[in-house]
Amino acid sequence: MERLTCSHCLLSFPASDALRTEYDGTEHVFCCNGCRGVFLLIRNEGLDAFYSKRRWDSPGRPAEVAKEPDTAAFLADVMEVDGDKELDIFIDGIRCASCVWLNEKFLSRAEGVSHVRINFATHRAKIRWDPAVIDISAILQRIQAIGYSPKPYRESEQIQARRAESRDLLVRFGTAAFLSSQLMIYSIALYAGYFQGIDQKTKIIFEVIAALLTLPVLLYSGMPFMRSSVSGLWHLHFTMDSLIATGSVSAYVYSVYQMFRGGTVYFDTSAMIITLILLGRYLESTAKGRASETIAKLTELAPVEARIVTGAHDISDMPSAETEMVQLSALKTGDIVKILPGEKIPSDGIVICGESETDESILTGESRPLRKTAGSELIGGSINLFGMLIARITRTGRDTVLSGIIKAVEDAQSGKPQIQILADRIVGYFVPAIIITAIATTALYLLKGFSTDHSLMIGISVLVIACPCSLGLATPLAVLIFTTMASSRGILVKGGEVIENLSRIDHVVFDKTGTITEGKPSLREIIRIDREAEETYPLKVAASLENLSEHSLGQAIRDAWKHDLLNVSDFRAVPGRGIEGRVDGRRCLIGNRAFLAENDIDSLPDNSPITSLDELTDPFERSGDTVIYLGWSDAVRAVFVVSDCLREEAKDAVNAIAERNINITVISGDNSITTAAVSGAAGIRNAEAGMSPAGKRDYIHALQAGGSHILMAGDGINDAPALTEASVGMAMGRGTDIAMESADAVLIRNDLTAIPYFIGLSARTYRIIKQNIFWAFFYNIVAVPLAVSGALHPIVAAGAMAASSLFVVINSLRIRKKDKF
Amino acid sequence: MWTLIFLIFLSLVLGIGAWLFFIWAVKSGQYDDPEGPKYRMLDDDEEPDNKKGHP
Repeated sequence: MERLTCSHCLLSFPASDALRTEYDGTEHVFCCNGCRGVFLLIRNEGLDAFYSKRRWDSPGRPAEVAKEPDTAAFLADVMEVDGDKELDIFIDGIRCASCVWLNEKFLSRAEGVSHVRINFATHRAKIRWDPAVIDISAILQRIQAIGYSPKPYRESEQIQARRAESRDLLVRFGTAAFLSSQLMIYSIALYAGYFQGIDQKTKIIFEVIAALLTLPVLLYSGMPFMRSSVSGLWHLHFTMDSLIATGSVSAYVYSVYQMFRGGTVYFDTSAMIITLILLGRYLESTAKGRASETIAKLTELAPVEARIVTGAHDISDMPSAETEMVQLSALKTGDIVKILPGEKIPSDGIVICGESETDESILTGESRPLRKTAGSELIGGSINLFGMLIARITRTGRDTVLSGIIKAVEDAQSGKPQIQILADRIVGYFVPAIIITAIATTALYLLKGFSTDHSLMIGISVLVIACPCSLGLATPLAVLIFTTMASSRGILVKGGEVIENLSRIDHVVFDKTGTITEGKPSLREIIRIDREAEETYPLKVAASLENLSEHSLGQAIRDAWKHDLLNVSDFRAVPGRGIEGRVDGRRCLIGNRAFLAENDIDSLPDNSPITSLDELTDPFERSGDTVIYLGWSDAVRAVFVVSDCLREEAKDAVNAIAERNINITVISGDNSITTAAVSGAAGIRNAEAGMSPAGKRDYIHALQAGGSHILMAGDGINDAPALTEASVGMAMGRGTDIAMESADAVLIRNDLTAIPYFIGLSARTYRIIKQNIFWAFFYNIVAVPLAVSGALHPIVAAGAMAASSLFVVINSLRIRKKDKF
Repeated sequence: MWTLIFLIFLSLVLGIGAWLFFIWAVKSGQYDDPEGPKYRMLDDDEEPDNKKGHP
């Protein structure tokens, strides 16, 4: 079936679905009306530049051989609802809102499908259909047909537990917020009554209502704090929770006591503390939401089955011998496996026979396909591209390279929050200090001969005053504004702790491929050696040949040619070397120099403007580019230079970071020539090449052990361990899911200049958080002695508390200042 | 005084109504996908038939 590419969204789709529109004399094809509409809108607005400016350079999913979806795997999850069937599936390959839209519309149009809803965040689709009209395999094939792959949706227990916790927090917070807003009505009336005078009966009614409204906030919403502080008390271990529990409970008890004495009540204080802290906790839990899905995603990479060769003992018989599919868990070291083109390599091993290339980019970062012949090592999880391979398994289970990466991510994630520990330690001293002060104050007043009532009241007022109301607000509010600011600049932040880490950054480490470069080879230069050929002819021939190959370098050439292709016959591909075919009656070869030389194409044409090929291509090879030769009839006719281009804004970003006196290093899995050339072009002097995923992590670890604070920016699975190890990990939005899951922040728009902006924003936010916390404590430092002396008038205390909260709010708003970047 | 008590009662009933609505919203998953609706509101339910489809 012929396939076309949509002029707007670049989606590849069957030609029969095409929508054609003529515009400015050229015909454009679209996959759907939506794309066409947007395309016309953009053109009519004179914003054509969008199409040249946009960067759709996502590596996407590895090119797998399209297999029929395995219906059996889904059957267990199908549910019966009102006579219809319902199923939750995970749709892999969704990258943006239009993917969701496309899948929803496309599925809901199938006859018999009554309901389709895809969750934007989790890519989970809920599909309901009538089993009498359509069956499940037809639905799955429909998803596959538009280029996405359906997978069974299974949540790990860990993820389920976290979701339940997040929902529980939301209900608790919502309830507390509702009650607090009701409570405020009565509290404000009571405060007004304090100044203007209030009817005694009305006052009692309001106070009783306020007491009743506050009770569920304490007993239901505040339950997690109460529970943890009671168990903490048991072990004499004081946390923030203890402070919140002590403060809110004592404020409540004190208010009930005052209610009977006819004094001023503080129910709002008690409820507000819990509400604000719950809001902070809820924001935190949703932001961290997706972090622990990392490991689940990584294990998904591992193939589930292996094809074991059973029928042969002789190497020469193996390619044709019988095979048997076994579960990966049954695979043992020493087993002989057969790997067909397009399949994943089941486990680490050594090639016994066969010749092919493998794509290890997602594991090692090596951007080019690697040639594999007898004796080469294979990495489990990488993809066999062209030829059949027979391999002996050398490592299985937890010893494999892939397991090593997974373990590295686990380790790095579990060892993170050191800042939290410090904060808790300070609170651990603060809480007992306040409790001791309160008890001592009460005792002192009793000794001085005051009444028990009065002494107790003063003691409790110390506890109430010490309540961390603005302290509870200080950080979450600043974090919230920070996250909003960051996301408007295209940065997705996973948690608040990143602010503190970012503000200390003194060293930025970039991954090369896909981070400071586009991550995808593109044709940079065509040098026509044969002056007789038409100017575009060599590219046309090359593209026609490469169109039949799967090679990523070839794709760069193919993508550069937008017009009709020539017919190719007698096509042959030699892995690692090149391809040949008959075009326009001539035998044409394209590939590396050795491949052409072996086929007696080594001379230059008679009319060549140059005298030596080496002279021409040496500079390119030295700068890390790949040179591809095209030849026919004994002579090299053209040279193509393919390279992974530097991101446009990389230089600006590097300069802006350097201005802040921050060191910059590039690390890469690629060879040292390419790495040095690319980092030099971006204006970065330090470059480390040939790094494995664990090597990158160790490099970051060593720098941090030396006292540096590292920001690591990367995009691949190979960067995941380093991203988690670094103080701050930053993933590219078009990178792999695993990289995004491991990172603390994601650059949605792939705009590197957001990094210096982000560093500046964090520094400012952190400064403001420190001011907020200082003010919150300052309030306590001033108010607690006043409370101890018994001189603090209740209304003054309430006013000071409000003023301190207000200060925190206004101060936090200062984060919204405009920045250069 | 009775006016006051009646108004308090009314405000509590309305508040509890809102609270029950909130609980229902959480339980029925309205908060599970906060991202989606902002894109969905831009979707047209029906596309013109003459423009979409197989030419």
